[in-house]
Amino acid sequence: MLIDHTHRKWFLGSAAALTVAAAVYVPYALHSPQGPRGGSGIGLTFGTTGFLCMLFAGLLGLRKKFPIWRIGRAQTWMRGHLWLGLLSFPLILFHGGFHFGGSLTRLLMWLFGFVWISGILGAALQHFMPRFQTAQLPMETIYEQIDRVRGQLAEEAGQLVEETCSALEGEVSRASERQRAVSASAGTQGGLTVASGLRTNQQVSVQLRTFLDQEMRPYLERAGAHTARLGQSGQAQKMFQQFRVLLPPDLHSNLDDLENICEEKRQLDKQSRLHRILHGWLLVHIPLSYGLLVLGAVHAVVALRF
Amino acid sequence: MSSRPAAEIQLTIDGRPISVPVGTTIFDAARVNGIPIPTLCHQQNENPVGVCRVCVVDIGQRVYAASCIRQCESGMTVKTATDQVHAARNTLVELLMSDHPAPCARQQQSGDCELERLAGAAGIKESRFPHRTTPRGKDDSSAVIAVDHEACILCDRCIRGCDDIRDNWVLARRGKGYQAGIAFDNNLPMSESSCVSCGECMVSCPTGALTNKRVVGTQLGEGDVLDPSELLGLPIFQKKRHFKAGEIVCREGEFGSTAFYILEGQAEVFLASPIAHVKTEGSSKGFFSKLQSLLAPREGDRRSEESDRPFIPIDASVDLPYDSPIAELNPGDMFGEMTCMSYYPRSATVRARTDCVMLEMLRNVLDILQRNKTFRAQLERNYRARALDSHLRSVPVFKSLTQDFIDHLRDRVELLRFNPGQVICRQGDPADSFYLVRIGFVKVSEQRPGGELVLAYLARGGYFGEIALLSGSPRSATCTALDHVEVVRIVGEDFQLMLDRFPEVRQKLEAIAQERIKENLRHTVQTQNVPVDQFLAQGLMEAQSLLVLDLEKCTRCDQCVRACADAHEGVSRLVREGLRFDKYLVATSCRQCRDPLCMVGCPVGSIRRRNTLEVIIEDWCIGCGLCATNCPYGNINLHPFPAELDDPSHPGQTIAGVRVKATSCDLCHDHAEPSCVYACPHDAAHRVNPPEFFAGMLAQPAPRTDGS
Repeated sequence: MLIDHTHRKWFLGSAAALTVAAAVYVPYALHSPQGPRGGSGIGLTFGTTGFLCMLFAGLLGLRKKFPIWRIGRAQTWMRGHLWLGLLSFPLILFHGGFHFGGSLTRLLMWLFGFVWISGILGAALQHFMPRFQTAQLPMETIYEQIDRVRGQLAEEAGQLVEETCSALEGEVSRASERQRAVSASAGTQGGLTVASGLRTNQQVSVQLRTFLDQEMRPYLERAGAHTARLGQSGQAQKMFQQFRVLLPPDLHSNLDDLENICEEKRQLDKQSRLHRILHGWLLVHIPLSYGLLVLGAVHAVVALRF
Repeated sequence: MSSRPAAEIQLTIDGRPISVPVGTTIFDAARVNGIPIPTLCHQQNENPVGVCRVCVVDIGQRVYAASCIRQCESGMTVKTATDQVHAARNTLVELLMSDHPAPCARQQQSGDCELERLAGAAGIKESRFPHRTTPRGKDDSSAVIAVDHEACILCDRCIRGCDDIRDNWVLARRGKGYQAGIAFDNNLPMSESSCVSCGECMVSCPTGALTNKRVVGTQLGEGDVLDPSELLGLPIFQKKRHFKAGEIVCREGEFGSTAFYILEGQAEVFLASPIAHVKTEGSSKGFFSKLQSLLAPREGDRRSEESDRPFIPIDASVDLPYDSPIAELNPGDMFGEMTCMSYYPRSATVRARTDCVMLEMLRNVLDILQRNKTFRAQLERNYRARALDSHLRSVPVFKSLTQDFIDHLRDRVELLRFNPGQVICRQGDPADSFYLVRIGFVKVSEQRPGGELVLAYLARGGYFGEIALLSGSPRSATCTALDHVEVVRIVGEDFQLMLDRFPEVRQKLEAIAQERIKENLRHTVQTQNVPVDQFLAQGLMEAQSLLVLDLEKCTRCDQCVRACADAHEGVSRLVREGLRFDKYLVATSCRQCRDPLCMVGCPVGSIRRRNTLEVIIEDWCIGCGLCATNCPYGNINLHPFPAELDDPSHPGQTIAGVRVKATSCDLCHDHAEPSCVYACPHDAAHRVNPPEFFAGMLAQPAPRTDGS
């Protein structure tokens, strides 16, 4: 979510509400003989309003469970969640007169602090990360599909290496059309078109296969693996450069494809990392929020009843 | 179809002033003006090479010109039938006859050796010139095709057929002088070569050099039926199948590779899929309204521009009535030709009504049989007698034709076959006929300065050629066979007669032609106004409504996909993946492409475009999924519905199962806003009109684009 000018109304509304609350709170705090208390009329009003804001913010999860219910656009709910959630914290502080009180209320305030800060962190992440992700990951795919794409990349790399080795070993029938066209000019021998245009080199072929089996395939098949040599862009470049020296120019395009495959894998790994960061904070925010709401309700019942 | 202003030139042929587009050959100019010029090495579907010289004409120069390759020039005076020209042609024919073993195999068996026919017409019985003394031999190695090099006149028609039309590149020339001939691969015997026995060479050959082996022996007299034993005796692969009454022969939606010819018994052909389209609507009104998909026939839910065709086109000699999609097939009927020739899914289910005997054949067999004159004539007779009527009436504009007029057309229409890629009529050509598609798919395209623009894909029941005939202008578009196509050709005179006799047909055709012209103009304006290459390259220009995700706002939470799935009973019609245009991801959702590949191959022709270019899937979709496979953007989905299916283990009984129907994004039209947009919490998803939405960006330097 980009927090931009389209949020102006919510921002102004929240700011106005906060100003009004502060305008009520300051004289109340100054003139109240026992200081501001949660049980007073004004304190209860702050508490109730703050809790309702929290409750509305918490309902976003429920709203998302039923995305097609026509109960207001999801983005309206999200903006409400963001700004009312933000507003609820000062309201609760006004409610308690900036005192954390007994053990339950202290726990509640700490919990609220974590929820509030994690929410702000989340909002900041959701504000900046999508742009960063868009710029950094031109080959981005659907997060849940990453494992499958990785498998496809490994398969594709295997085929490319096989094709390249076939060409190197002179098995032109297994080489690509383009390579065959290159070698066709070399004439025939014993009924087989000989790839004299391509350097027949068993040794390079063995090296390439070894590279696939020991470096590339393990790197492609394993999630993460950014510590692998191919996971580092510079090192990968050097490794492919070595093969460029060994392989005839006609096969360099295959090496380019292999290098691109590694680049795509690096991007997939990066996407995984960024995705975890972008959504990881929710693992803290959501459970704590539910805990907060439950404890908040308990606090309200206990405080009002006893 | 706006017509291209083709430059015309004037010339005179046999004293007749003629106007033709620049680039037209003399042969074609004469042909379209009804002036016959004989030829041997040239046929319409091949590039002319001018080797036989039999088509020579006098153009007032020192030597006669081969009309098949000589282009018309402004002010040219052509004489095609002077005594001198005839004498020159006769000498050429006589020279060719001196090396020709008359009567050759073709002449003996079917009497249609083109050389001998020409010789006969010229009164040449015996050549004055000495015969060849060195024999060139025969090649009897193929099981299907007999090769008699002695009868070859080196016209190269077989070579062009093999290389240019079929793209097989097996045939070529060999040797020099008297030893010159045709060769398979590196002069291998035909059976050892890479020949695929497609039969194109055999069909192209004007003489008895390449003939059907034994198939030629099945030529029957007028009125006879083809003897099954003759068919079974062919040295080619086919199976005689016996089906018990009630047994299913093939099921709709299945992929197959064979066609069936009924020898005995009766079969019924029907659609088991429900005849209805997928409709998504709110189950209740109010806040908690939930969407649900259901099947609605056109009577209950009439959509704009929904087809009112009374018949459903299928891959058989008959069409099925919309209201009761079942018909009968009898001995002599063939079905599954499109499946066999082009590997499309079966368009209908066929069940034996009585005990049946059928020939099941593979593509090469069908191909050869269809080239067999008797078999072909029999199929055509069946078509004219049983299917032409319903085929014509299946097209809404022809519904009002009277029986006597259809009877008039019955023997006058021509059935023409075209191979994949073959041009049926070309933009700028003079219009002489109207065409109705019987089998296969025809691509209608227009050549524009920016390249080719596909206007439509026409399936069985589609028609073309009416605009030029109505307006009297040259062809406004090029029509090309996409696969194995068969069309019914109604010549211009009959078409005019039809328009004169049935003013309502003229009225409807004119209205449709106007609509097509308008639609094409709109397309032209769209493409001219937006000069951004990448925008066009991504196909965004054709889209009228795109779902775009602002990647700078999108947190990849997939709420849009979840909402789409929720709105369509768990089947999402949206995939959050696609091409990027600047910071926007153009998500997978129907974009009404310039080249709507989804429409190619639908075995029942149920997917088409509205005049607004939006895709509509007609009620008779059989759920084969070919459109979903063909859509390059994955924008068509298959929606499952519970249904009763035939129990394969207990014929006649049914079991509960699932049937699917193709569907694409319906914009959740029962609601004010599509669910995907409504459910996006980050204001990232938008349904937009591309030219309007991207207008600002298009004025700027090209944005970054990435495939993902």
